[in-house]
Amino acid sequence: MVNMNVNLGGLFMKNPVTTASGTFAAGMEFADFVNVGDLGAVTTKGVSLHGWEGNESPRIAETPSGMLNSIGLQNPGVEHLKDVELPWLAEQGARIIVNVSGHSIEEYREVIYALEDTPADAYEVNVSCPNVDAGGMTMGCDPTMVAKVVGTCRSATLKPLIVKLTPNVTDITEIAKAAVDAGADALSLINTLLGMAIDAHTRRPKLARVVGGLSGPAVKPVALRMVWECYKATSVPILGMGGIANADDAVEFMLAGATAVAVGTANFTNPHASIQVARGIERYCREQGVEDVNELIGGLVC
Amino acid sequence: MLFDEIATVVANQKLGPGLYLMTLKAPRCALEVQPGQFVHMMISTNPSHVLRRPFSVYAADARTELIDVLYQVVGGGTFEMTKWQEGTRTAIVAPVGRGWKPPYNARRALLVGGGVGAAPLYMLCDQLLDKGADVDVVLGAATGECLVCLDRYFDLRKPGLRVLHTTDDGSAGAEGFCTDLAEDALALAARTGKRYDYVAACGPEPMMRIAAGLAKLYGIPCEVSLERRMACGIGACLSCVVDTVDGKKRACVDGPVFDIRELPW
Repeated sequence: MVNMNVNLGGLFMKNPVTTASGTFAAGMEFADFVNVGDLGAVTTKGVSLHGWEGNESPRIAETPSGMLNSIGLQNPGVEHLKDVELPWLAEQGARIIVNVSGHSIEEYREVIYALEDTPADAYEVNVSCPNVDAGGMTMGCDPTMVAKVVGTCRSATLKPLIVKLTPNVTDITEIAKAAVDAGADALSLINTLLGMAIDAHTRRPKLARVVGGLSGPAVKPVALRMVWECYKATSVPILGMGGIANADDAVEFMLAGATAVAVGTANFTNPHASIQVARGIERYCREQGVEDVNELIGGLVC
Repeated sequence: MLFDEIATVVANQKLGPGLYLMTLKAPRCALEVQPGQFVHMMISTNPSHVLRRPFSVYAADARTELIDVLYQVVGGGTFEMTKWQEGTRTAIVAPVGRGWKPPYNARRALLVGGGVGAAPLYMLCDQLLDKGADVDVVLGAATGECLVCLDRYFDLRKPGLRVLHTTDDGSAGAEGFCTDLAEDALALAARTGKRYDYVAACGPEPMMRIAAGLAKLYGIPCEVSLERRMACGIGACLSCVVDTVDGKKRACVDGPVFDIRELPW
C-alpha cells in the first residue's frame, strides 16, 4: 500500500494529481470519463468577477507535439461557478482549486471574497495567462506587481493560496520569491509559453489574436527546468505542469521538485488522462518499492 | 452519454481529389450515433498530433457495427490518416454534439450539401425518408470528381427522394452552385404551393449563409452544421465557440447543428 497523500501548502490531496486550469472546465464535461472525486483535486477554469467574453476565433492551432491557445479566459463569472459548478464538485467529493483571474488587483480580491463561503478548498491566483490585455501575464512578469496581487489575495483569505507563474520571464525564481514573500502557500508552474503560428499559404496567423500560449509535450523540458529552479530557490510546495501526458512525465516533475502535478493538454488527447496519471504514479511507486509518494519530491539524483 | 471507443479501420479508400472514405468498426458508436453527430478521432499513429480531429458520421449500421467517415486532407493530421490500413486502431470519443432536429412532422425537406458537407446530411436524409417525408437533396462540388457522395444518395432508392447536383465548372450536373438550385427549388415550391417545411445545409460557411438566407426569405425552419477548430471536443476548452444571439456557444456540444434563429446571420 503506497501512501499517495500529499500536502500542497495546506491543501490535502489524496493523490498528487489535479487538472490544469482551462483544460477541464470544472469537471462536469469530463464526468463520462473521470470520477472527479478520485483525483487529488480539480482545478477549475479561470474565473473573473462578472465573466468575460474571451477572444475571437480561431482560438487554437495545433503545433508539433503541442498546441497554441488564445481562449482569453472566457468565463461566465464567479456567481455562476458558485451556483452550478462548485455544488456539483462538492457533491462528487472533489477537492477544489479555483483559478482566480482579474483585470485589476481589486478584481482578484473581490473574486476571492465571493468564494470564501463556498466549497472551494484553495485558490490558484492566475498572474500568468498570456491571452488577456489586462491582468494575467501582464501582472506576472513584474515581481513588484506580483507581490501586490499576492499580498492583496493573502489578506483576503486563510485558504491555501497557490500562485500560478508564467514562464515568459527572464528569471522565474525572481517572480517565485516575490510571490512567496508576499504570502503564497504554494507555486504553480508553468502557464503556457507565448508563441505564434503562421499559415505559409495564406500568409495569415493561425490564431485570430496572432499570439497564444503553447502547451503540450513540446513545453515539458522547459517546464521541468523551471520547476527544478523554483524548487531550489524557494521553500514552498510546487504544483508542476507542462506537457504531462502519462505517469512517467508526472514522476519526472516530482523528482524535479513538484509536490503535486497537473494534467492539462493531455485531457484533450485522452479524456481519461488525469485519472490514468494518478493510477500510473501509484503503480510506479509499487514497482519501484516507494512506500510514500512524497519520497519522490525533489528526488532527482545529480 | 459520451464514451471513448477503440475503433478499428476496416477500409480507407480514396474517392476523389484529397477526399477519402474511412470505414471503422465501432460497435457502440454505430449503435448510438444520431444524424449530424460526430466522432472525435485520435491521430493514434503519430503522437505529435496532440489534438483529435472531429468528423461527422456519414453512415452507421448497428448490425454490421460499422461507421463511415468522409474526410478531406487539409493538414498533417488528415494526411496521416490517409496512410491507415485495415486493422489500424484508433480512439474515438462518440457520439458527440447536437445533431439535426427536423420538425417531428416534417413532410417536405430540402437538404443542401456543399463539398464534403454532403456527408453529414446523409443519415438525416435516410431518416426523413423513413419517416415518410419527401426529400429534395441538392449537392454541389467544385468538379464532378469531387461529387463523391452522389452515388450513395442515388443508391438510397427510397420513395420521395430527389437528388440534384451542380458543379462549379459544369463537369457534372448543372454548372453553378448548389445554392442556385436550392433557390430555384424554393421558388418553385412557393409557386406551386408544395412548400418545404425544413431546410438543412452543410458545407462552406458562405454557402450555408446563402442557404440560411433563402430559408429565412421563404419562412422555412432551417438548420446548419458549423465547423470550428476543436481541442477537447466535449465542451470544456471553449476553443470552438460560435457567436450566437445568446452569446458564445460551443460548436462541439451546443452544436455542431444550430437552428439559424440562434445565429446572428
